[in-house]
Amino acid sequence: MTAATLFQSILASLPEIVVVTGACILLILGQLVPKGQGYFLVWASAATVLVAALATLLLAGEVRPAYSGMFIADRFAVFFKMVFYLSTILTFLLSRKYAEIEGIALSEYYVLLLFALSGMMIVASATDLLSIYVGLELMALSTYVLTGFLRKERRSNEAALKYVVLGGVSTGIFLYGVSLIYGITGTTQLDAMAAAVTGDPLDPGLLLAVVFIVAGLVFKVGAVPFHMWVPDVYEGAPTTITAFMSVGPKAAGFAVILRVFLNPLVAASDAWIIVAVIAVVTMALGSFVALVQDNFKRLLAYSSIAHAGFALFGVVAGGADGIAGVMLYLLIYAFMNLGIFGIVIMMRNGDFSGEVIEDYAGFAKSHRGLALLMLLYLFSLAGIPPTAGFFAKFYVLVALVERGFVMLAVIAVLLSAVAAYFYIRIVMVIYMREPERAFEPALTPSVRATLALTAAGTIGIGLFPAWFLRLAQSSVFGG
Amino acid sequence: MAFPLLSLIVFMPAAGAAVLMFLRSDDAVRWTALGVTVLDLALCIAMLAGFDTTTHEMQFTETRPWVPALGITYALGIDGISALFVFLTALLGWICVLASWVAIDRKVKEFMVSLLAMQALMLGVFCALDLFLFYVFWEAMLIPMYVIIGVWGGDGRVYAAFKFFLYTLAGSLLFLIGVIVLYFHGGETFDIRALTAQDLPFRVQSWLFFAFLIAFAVKVPMVPVHTWLPDAHVQAPTAGSIILAGVLLKMGAYGFLRFSLPMLPEASLYYSTLMLSLSALAIVYGGLLALAQDDLKKLVAYSSISHMGFVTLGIFTLNLRGLEGGILQMFNHGVTTGALFLFVGLIYERTHTRSIADYGGLMKAAPVYTAFLALFTLSSMALPGTNSFVGELLVLSGAFAANLAVGAAAVLGALLGAAYLLGMYRKVALGPASIGVRFKIRDVNARELVAILPLAVFVLWVGLYPKPFLNIIGPSVRHLLTQVHSNGGGQ
Repeated sequence: MTAATLFQSILASLPEIVVVTGACILLILGQLVPKGQGYFLVWASAATVLVAALATLLLAGEVRPAYSGMFIADRFAVFFKMVFYLSTILTFLLSRKYAEIEGIALSEYYVLLLFALSGMMIVASATDLLSIYVGLELMALSTYVLTGFLRKERRSNEAALKYVVLGGVSTGIFLYGVSLIYGITGTTQLDAMAAAVTGDPLDPGLLLAVVFIVAGLVFKVGAVPFHMWVPDVYEGAPTTITAFMSVGPKAAGFAVILRVFLNPLVAASDAWIIVAVIAVVTMALGSFVALVQDNFKRLLAYSSIAHAGFALFGVVAGGADGIAGVMLYLLIYAFMNLGIFGIVIMMRNGDFSGEVIEDYAGFAKSHRGLALLMLLYLFSLAGIPPTAGFFAKFYVLVALVERGFVMLAVIAVLLSAVAAYFYIRIVMVIYMREPERAFEPALTPSVRATLALTAAGTIGIGLFPAWFLRLAQSSVFGG
Repeated sequence: MAFPLLSLIVFMPAAGAAVLMFLRSDDAVRWTALGVTVLDLALCIAMLAGFDTTTHEMQFTETRPWVPALGITYALGIDGISALFVFLTALLGWICVLASWVAIDRKVKEFMVSLLAMQALMLGVFCALDLFLFYVFWEAMLIPMYVIIGVWGGDGRVYAAFKFFLYTLAGSLLFLIGVIVLYFHGGETFDIRALTAQDLPFRVQSWLFFAFLIAFAVKVPMVPVHTWLPDAHVQAPTAGSIILAGVLLKMGAYGFLRFSLPMLPEASLYYSTLMLSLSALAIVYGGLLALAQDDLKKLVAYSSISHMGFVTLGIFTLNLRGLEGGILQMFNHGVTTGALFLFVGLIYERTHTRSIADYGGLMKAAPVYTAFLALFTLSSMALPGTNSFVGELLVLSGAFAANLAVGAAAVLGALLGAAYLLGMYRKVALGPASIGVRFKIRDVNARELVAILPLAVFVLWVGLYPKPFLNIIGPSVRHLLTQVHSNGGGQ
């Protein structure tokens, strides 16, 4: 590797380098900052992310392959990185007060979030099964620790342990698939794989390898049949981390799925049938099981399973519109889901957990504005226009019908009608019950800022989707 | 670009709702809401004054790009059919505000915001010329309506609100798939005018016809998907019932007129007998159910099912008289049934009972009230001289021309209507004062009279001189018929 190509590689991965370096510096600085100066860490971490975002935008002008074909900085990666930055910064803002209340305002908390971010960024840019693996593991290891961050709570410990064990198994399965691929094609690079296969694309060995890789990736997005960890981990983890996991790592999982699945090799192997079945079952399970949940965090866990199912329909559709559909879906989902989690996080104050749906009875009476925001997020999650959630679903449906999958589209909308029920049930509790106790939400300026931003995104993308749609369409790779 | 009158009409209530959010006192909220809705009506009258009744073309059109990548535009415009319903919506808007003046005494601000948002969205549905825009308005209505029923409704409001929401959502989601399929078959556009000009294969038309039918039939509602209506009506506050009966039910029928007939002419012709039979079933079944009710609101709700049966019957006769009658009957039903729900609401505010058995001899206690009630009851049973007579006569003559058996069933339904409406009036207004209402009942006051009078005027105006109304819809109806019969392969 000459100095020039090395420089090019470093330039292409500059945002990742910024985040990793920032995280390392903060790890050391965190030990020196006196207690009570916690806000410094928040702002320093946020500044790191902003610098990385700036670098990403400045370098977005051209496609930069790097590290001998293991890494690429293309528009597809830029789009996903923006979603990651957004979710990480909003998580920082939400964590400020929450971490203090829960007693977890340690520097490691923010540093681990930054490491998770860098893992997701590598995943979005990876073009080789091995660099994908490195990114996924960096992301996963950081989130394992964050899940167990409430050290004194059994629920949190249990969740972390479950997550580690199941995550380890899924990683093993993924790696096994990679090794099979390497055995058959002699390469792990996504582009070279397709070229290396000369024979029948339906070779059983290849199919087996694809199935293993599918299993490993589907675990990350929490789709059936690898969804079992989601409710427990979402419930046990600190709520801020739950919010982060439901948006960031999930989007990273989809970035890999899009890159791997829409690779000509996999596309030729009829893997879409597997994905279609997974999508239907995932959405059905998420929607129906969420109907009977009383715990808000568990309900949001099943809701996120259902949403993963809907986004998988976009993967099934494939093509430029399908890919753009998934990307837009994830962006919009980031806004609305962080919004609703922002409310749940804000409710955690004093001895009040705000985790049970009944806790919100009569919320509209005491807090009109916040209740209205909740209504907005919930209807957006349910996919009712004019919110952004509707447009996200609409565009995926357009992609499905375009490819002739009308029956899948019908299934998708019928299941989203089921899902609508549990969202509006919460609206019912907020608006149509009498309050049983006084609310004192921890409404700090940074939480306010988060809610304002997510609300603006939820309603803004709903009313003026044109710009965001064009952004997603122009960020589709190869299209 | 010309003055965007339609955008102003559609978005003024929405802007009003935004202003309401910043007001503190309940009275200021009420007066502002009233001011906005009256101004909106004034704009609608100005729109009708400038409306050209000689053409079927869309008028007052506005087009702006919205999502160019998918061919979605922000396009508004009205023809004769939609003009009538834009006017009806605006007419009922301020009456709803007046009807809730004292009936809504908690969370007044939220109520008026929902009401105004509802009005903006309903006006948007009737004005939209882009299928995507139409769908956004159509579906967004669920939010304020759900809140109106669920927060300010009666004891069973939560159940009713859920039922309303899920029925209509499930129906319209299939419509959404239909819209997307239509988009790809019609050359990747959502422009309603361009889609109308398409000639789709019969198989596609059939599928789309049923996808649309489910959505529209739930809204109308047609038997057997009508069961959400009695619950929603009984539980909704008075203004909610007026909106439901007056405007929301019309949207299903409007959907048939705007989409099913012109876009899917072959399928509409092919399945017209099915639709006629379903309509006749709704007329008779709704009438029989109404006959058995003791709850005033339920009675009017079931009569709505029967009356909306006349509307769909008229539409699917697919001849001039039937269609004109059906559309006119949509307007009439909005006025008359809106008024009847208003009357039920007025008396409920005084006695807090809706059971017919509790009433009797109201004529002595509230003569003005009972006099107007008589007018609207007679209008609802289509007595000559009232609005519904004109509409029903046109529908029936169209129906007999289309299908003798269906026409006969419709006449039976009209007879049933006379039976339950006269029975209701006799028990409520005549006879000795009953135990339940023996105490002194206040007659209508000035505010209530202001709400009632315009509706009474329209009952008589359409009844005695329907020509201006038929003139408005005439060219559009004739154009619609040529579209159906020339593209659908003649009659």
